Amino acid sequence: MASGHGIPRVSGAIHDHSQEAQDKVRKQIDQYQTVERDVVQRIRTNDFSNDTLQLTSVLLKQNPEYYTVWNHRRRIFLDVFEKEVSSKGAVLDSGPSPTDQKDAEAAEKAGLTVSQREIQLIVNEDLMFLLPLLKQFPKCYWIWNHRAWLLATVSKHLPVSNALEQWQNELGLVAKMLALDSRNFHGWGYRREVVTNLETLSGQSMAEQEFAYATKMIQANLSNFSAWHARSQLIPRLLSERNASSADRKKLFDEEFDLITRALYTDPYDQSLWFYHQYLMSTLDSSNKNSPEILKPCTNAERIEYLEQELDSVMEMLDGAEDCKYIYQALLEYTSRYLEIGSGKTKVTTIEMNEWLNALRKIDPLREGRWKDLEQKMNL
Amino acid sequence: MSLAAGPGRGRVADGQLPDDLKLVVDKHVAYIKSLDTRRDELEYHLTEHLRVSGIYWGLTALHLLGQPDALPRAGVLDFVFSCLHENGGFGAAPGHDPHMLYTVSAVQILAMLNGFEELETKVPDGKMKIAKFISKLQQPDGTFAGDEWGETDTRFLYGAFNALSLLGLMPYQRPNDAPLIDVSAGTAHVKACQNFDGGFGLSPGAESHSGQVFTCLGILAIAGELDSHLGEEGKDRLGAWLSERQLESGGLNGRPEKLVDACYSWWVGSSMTMINRLHWLDQPRLTKFILECQDPDEGGIADRPGDMVDVFHTVFGIAGLSLMGYDGLLEVDPA
Repeated sequence: MASGHGIPRVSGAIHDHSQEAQDKVRKQIDQYQTVERDVVQRIRTNDFSNDTLQLTSVLLKQNPEYYTVWNHRRRIFLDVFEKEVSSKGAVLDSGPSPTDQKDAEAAEKAGLTVSQREIQLIVNEDLMFLLPLLKQFPKCYWIWNHRAWLLATVSKHLPVSNALEQWQNELGLVAKMLALDSRNFHGWGYRREVVTNLETLSGQSMAEQEFAYATKMIQANLSNFSAWHARSQLIPRLLSERNASSADRKKLFDEEFDLITRALYTDPYDQSLWFYHQYLMSTLDSSNKNSPEILKPCTNAERIEYLEQELDSVMEMLDGAEDCKYIYQALLEYTSRYLEIGSGKTKVTTIEMNEWLNALRKIDPLREGRWKDLEQKMNL
Repeated sequence: MSLAAGPGRGRVADGQLPDDLKLVVDKHVAYIKSLDTRRDELEYHLTEHLRVSGIYWGLTALHLLGQPDALPRAGVLDFVFSCLHENGGFGAAPGHDPHMLYTVSAVQILAMLNGFEELETKVPDGKMKIAKFISKLQQPDGTFAGDEWGETDTRFLYGAFNALSLLGLMPYQRPNDAPLIDVSAGTAHVKACQNFDGGFGLSPGAESHSGQVFTCLGILAIAGELDSHLGEEGKDRLGAWLSERQLESGGLNGRPEKLVDACYSWWVGSSMTMINRLHWLDQPRLTKFILECQDPDEGGIADRPGDMVDVFHTVFGIAGLSLMGYDGLLEVDPA
């Protein structure tokens, strides 16, 4: 069962067997266990106070993988929210005070009830608590989950306009996280979640905006595999939302080929670029259940036209990159589809196909088993 | 069972030639047996939230190494039962909240140790209680949440199918009773997670990832839909994507342009086995890579040569070797 790679790689102290080092570790363990026992005991007795909350913070800062403590933290908040909503006053506050009047005024100014404003303040404070943790542990599932839970709370309790603003801020956070690690799949996953929530709240599609974001990320770094993936996901939706005519669709398809071909000429050894080229080519492959729709309709004549065009273009890439395995792989893959649908066409000869396969076997012996099967499949 | 990393590091012993590399079985057994004696390390306590899974990983490694009795059976079972909650779910350790991940690990341990009889003695109708904890987590869209807080992903869907099949409570295992879960809603979700490149992502729209390929193929295999869904073309496409995960070092990565890691020997290797394409990997090179990740003196396997060993990479490194029929290891079931 995959639990991901949450296993810390610490060391150093382990090999230090001096009494002093052992005492130090013993003390750290005692401190940690004292806080842990305290939290467990408090939750068991329904002590959902601010003190308990602070103790969960201490534990989570040291150990953000401790999922039960995140649950305890949410139990504390749920208790507070429930009391807020039923207007009994928050436990985190200390009874009636002169600040009540101020709170009421601030809430009115923000267009919220006093309890809504209180919930917003609590959520915002906790979002701030998460920021340094996310930066330090960007691959910890539980931190991302807790963030999503806080935002869902906002959607549940606050007016749509406030919720929208809150989710909108998350886009900024994800952008920052993806700038630090452009492949973090938690980051991309959270981005999709944020966008889905914004679209639901506003009733408006963000496909165009997200397409622009993917374009920006690709322009910053052509090797950004995840950004190409995001782009590939958005195109079919974009076209359908634009009510694109078949001519519009063809225009976009051609532009995408231009974009990727120029990039491939610059660096044919880049796997991310071939991923996108294969994506575009897959839209011509009716036998692939997961191939998206770009051309509509997509006739056999068009399929043959594009296959011929791309076979020519990829063959040209060989010039100066004769040791690039991706080119041979693409030529063999596209040729096999070309022969399937363009029966009788003789653009590619068996001799060429054999040459490509032999080159591939020489460059890429690691996958010999696959090339052997391919040879049989293509009757070479 | 400590989940702390170390003490050893993956490396090749001084003066050892690559051809002389071999699995240091006794060292790995001793390493796993030593894990529960490390309570004087802070990491032992900081990783308590993984304890039951850690025991499952250690126990599986020991089974594959041919030493299934190296951990005390009664002690392991007592610990597992101490993690069981009233609602039928297991936490990672006593006092930790119930969660799908640890419930699956607990069921896997009970199955491995033939402990279901003891479970029924301790908790009347225990198997059904566990199954109900799992089935209640299924969502209308077919996915499974990890716990009451609602996070869903394909890992939990796989876990649910895996645990229910080990409990003998999947709908096809009791055709005369009302089904506990909606299998076809689950597999429909898995199919929606598939991409044009043949791989699967964490959710619909997410990029393909070797770990998710394993969970999704496992789900389809358990549901008996793997062959009908993929067909030979689909297997070729996915097999091509998976075979590109092998890099010059012989090791495998999880996604394009990421670092190799010994645990993908299992996620990729078992996926390749499920689609009958294991021979698309260079197995001697992968074997060599895994052996370079072991600590030849203190035992244990690391993610990469030079890094600290841990029980997670130890079991999945050994399971990878087992898939490839490494001499002296027991054979592992890919799903």
